[in-house]
Amino acid sequence: MTGLNGYLLLQFKRMVMKQLFLILLVSVTWASSAQTTIDGRVIDKKNGPVAGANVYLEGTYDGGSTNASGEFSFETMETGTQTLVVSMLGYEPHYEMGDVNFFSDLSISLVEAINSLTGVTLSAGTFEAGDNSKVSVLKPLDIVTTAGAVGDFVAALQTLPGTSTINEDGRLFVRGGAAGETQVFIDGLRVFQPFNATANNIPTRGRFSPFLFKGITFSTGGYSAEYGQALSSVLLLNSTDVPDQEKTDLNIMSVGTGIGHTEIWGDQSLTFNTQYINLTPYEALIPSTQGIRWNSPFESISGEMVFRSKGEKSMFKLYTNFNHSNLDIDQEDINFEDFVRFQLTNNNLYFNASYKHFFENEWTLTTGSSISWDSNDITVFDTDIDAHETAAHFKLKFRKTFTNRFNINFGAELFDIDYQETVNAPDESQFESGFDDRLFAGFVESDVFFSNDLAIKVGARLENTTVLDDFTFSPRISLAYKSSEKGQFSLAYGNFYQNPLNEILRFETNLISERTEHYILNYQYLNNGKTFRAEAYYKDYDNLVKFDTELPEFSSQFNNAGFGYATGLDVFWRDNKSIGNLDYWVSYSFLDTERDFRNFRERATPNFAPSHSFSLVTKYWVDKLKSQVGFSYQYGSGRPFDNPNTAGFFAEKTPAFHNLSFNWAYLIDQQKILYFSVNNVLGFNNVNDFQYANTPNMEGIFERRAIRPAADSFFFVGFFWTISTDKKSNQLNNL
Amino acid sequence: MNKTIFTVLFLFALIANSQDQYNKGMEKALQLWSNGQTLEASNLFERIAMAEDDNWIPYFYVAVVNTTASFGEKDAVKLTQQLERAKEFSDIAKRLSPNNPELLIQEAMINTAWIAFDGATYGITLSPKNAKLYDQALKIAPENPRVVLSKAEWDMGTARYFGKDTTPYCNDVERALELFTNFKSEIPFYPVWGKERAEEVLKECKG
Repeated sequence: MTGLNGYLLLQFKRMVMKQLFLILLVSVTWASSAQTTIDGRVIDKKNGPVAGANVYLEGTYDGGSTNASGEFSFETMETGTQTLVVSMLGYEPHYEMGDVNFFSDLSISLVEAINSLTGVTLSAGTFEAGDNSKVSVLKPLDIVTTAGAVGDFVAALQTLPGTSTINEDGRLFVRGGAAGETQVFIDGLRVFQPFNATANNIPTRGRFSPFLFKGITFSTGGYSAEYGQALSSVLLLNSTDVPDQEKTDLNIMSVGTGIGHTEIWGDQSLTFNTQYINLTPYEALIPSTQGIRWNSPFESISGEMVFRSKGEKSMFKLYTNFNHSNLDIDQEDINFEDFVRFQLTNNNLYFNASYKHFFENEWTLTTGSSISWDSNDITVFDTDIDAHETAAHFKLKFRKTFTNRFNINFGAELFDIDYQETVNAPDESQFESGFDDRLFAGFVESDVFFSNDLAIKVGARLENTTVLDDFTFSPRISLAYKSSEKGQFSLAYGNFYQNPLNEILRFETNLISERTEHYILNYQYLNNGKTFRAEAYYKDYDNLVKFDTELPEFSSQFNNAGFGYATGLDVFWRDNKSIGNLDYWVSYSFLDTERDFRNFRERATPNFAPSHSFSLVTKYWVDKLKSQVGFSYQYGSGRPFDNPNTAGFFAEKTPAFHNLSFNWAYLIDQQKILYFSVNNVLGFNNVNDFQYANTPNMEGIFERRAIRPAADSFFFVGFFWTISTDKKSNQLNNL
Repeated sequence: MNKTIFTVLFLFALIANSQDQYNKGMEKALQLWSNGQTLEASNLFERIAMAEDDNWIPYFYVAVVNTTASFGEKDAVKLTQQLERAKEFSDIAKRLSPNNPELLIQEAMINTAWIAFDGATYGITLSPKNAKLYDQALKIAPENPRVVLSKAEWDMGTARYFGKDTTPYCNDVERALELFTNFKSEIPFYPVWGKERAEEVLKECKG
């Protein structure tokens, strides 16, 4: 029974399987015999043909390419509902679902994709130094191979339009703004003391070595709502994510020595640099004599370290900078018979930790904090000044990209600043001053690309500062329109608020935030290695702090009655293609500004605002000599100063400023570079300003002295050696 | 029992059929490429890649076709489009097959195309990246002739520029040529390029 049953069952199964196989076989054959032709035409928005598009059925090999008239035709054995895909570079992919039988004589219109490379860019007010970015007017290397910059990236930025070269200061003065109106950020977090501490009229340098950064964005106005507390300008530095290779860098320079090393373990890496600078040997050889005597020239020891850890969807970076510097100098002063002694010791420790996480659905979270401890120990005459600043910045930011046409950015941040200063006078009296501030801010901003020709950025920022008990609201808007294949117009408008400087807040907190309004119109033309930019702007200053003493002090009366304006035109031209091996750029800035601030008795053009600034930077690669030779020329028209012997206020001008610098980088071999540079080769005798006596002499005349650079020219020689596993890299990009 | 046989046979037939389709598709794409129909070839490789989404080979070919087409391309917009497409597909291929030496040297080739287009802009940033990629590839596959050849050619270029002796690299090319005779891969359509190039380079060495 079981036997028979089993036999029958087996037979039955066989039969069924055979039939099943047959059915399958037939269906396969049938399918292969039934080909469907899919055809049609692909066009763009303007009804023009799109040639070379890939048209196919999703998940199959069946497809074809469109011809010059945008037509396509291919056969398929697929049946039923299928998805037809049209993909073409520069356009959004197109999907069409339906029965294959209906895929004939199709007319498919593609929508252009938003292209960051050739499309419109929101670039009003910004200069970028990066690799591939279209808005980059400088390459990272340019920052450091500019003659006259001697490795200081801030000095290189001073060759861009919108900046005024204030020779004796070294910081950034942007569009009629004072140096304190520019803020520096590393990976989106504030740097509280970006410049080395120094004495009056001895130019400072940036604290950071440029080669730890992969990108630098310098905005001369109208910047994003993500950044605040800067009336004029922001400088954004982005540190490298993943270093290329392990290496050790050594350098020996006429002013000091340094060593650096990069170690990589899989997705983690650590880079450190230390540098010791001492100007004593240089000063012994070529003493600086104009109005100064060094007791102990500038000496500093500094260290930087970056740790990076890259996860599958995250990035963590920790940046640390330590700097100790001291100097002891005697400086000429018109009010004293003898030189005035100034001693300074500065310690600065800075931490910057940032974390970025990429979530599903195009959400990105960025968070981080920066903390700095800064102390200055200053002795002038017999008065000791001890200043301490502890400052921190915490930030949390989200970004959601809905499509490549629309994204939104929002976040919150907190700045905490504690500043204390103690003055010990020789008579043993002591004055203390200081303040505590907590500043909360929130921002939201959105980029909308209507097409490759039109885009808009709209944002706003809300701030509350506890030290002033002041609320501020800053709307920002930026619009870009691409007028032709190579040209585009941009417009920007924004409100910008900044707390009064530490030197004021420590005496008076019954004030409100200083304010500017920016209006910017920009035209940019890019054509194969040639860049032309022209930007006209108007800046309206309001609520500027005024006081009734020479310098802000305990007994000063402060108010917010100050105001002013700055307007001008910035022009930039760069060409690295027309002449073989030659790369050059030209900047010209016209500036018209007047303001009533600080202790001004009326509205006037301040000393840091020359009307005309001009820079020409050239770099020439001499292949035979394996050398890059560069010249830079900088010009600034006369700077206003106040002559108390005349009735006018800031009515006179210094002679114009000239500086021609030269540098030579010679590649001895793949890993060794010899570098030589001279600032002010022709030895122009520049005068930055005049200092007038506080009281008139016997004849009733206020005597004066010219404030000149400590030395007209500066020489620099350095030898840079890189030791890496591949024996190929060098420090050319560090110079 | 029989059921199993049928199923196995049927499945095998199906696989053979799809394998056959893959082979045919790849062969056709390679033929288009060798006929100079770069765009059609790239599009077909892309279609195969999209259908076979776990196989790095067609992705690799989309990258290769677009990279090769970029050497000598003067139009910045076209070059950028091609190289960005090459990079996109090379990145997907790398995800499907991590630590694949063929993909590492392909990525280096994309960088080289950028450097060839504008050395002043891309040389300084991409050269160290290439040095790293070649080192990595050589560590993984010291016996892969294409890796040995690519690295030797890259090093030779640098040495020549600095007026250094290129003999050691010529020896590497010679070694690569020997490696080509024995190099075999079980994977269908595994990259095979390089032998002719090695012969050419060696000729330059001796010439």
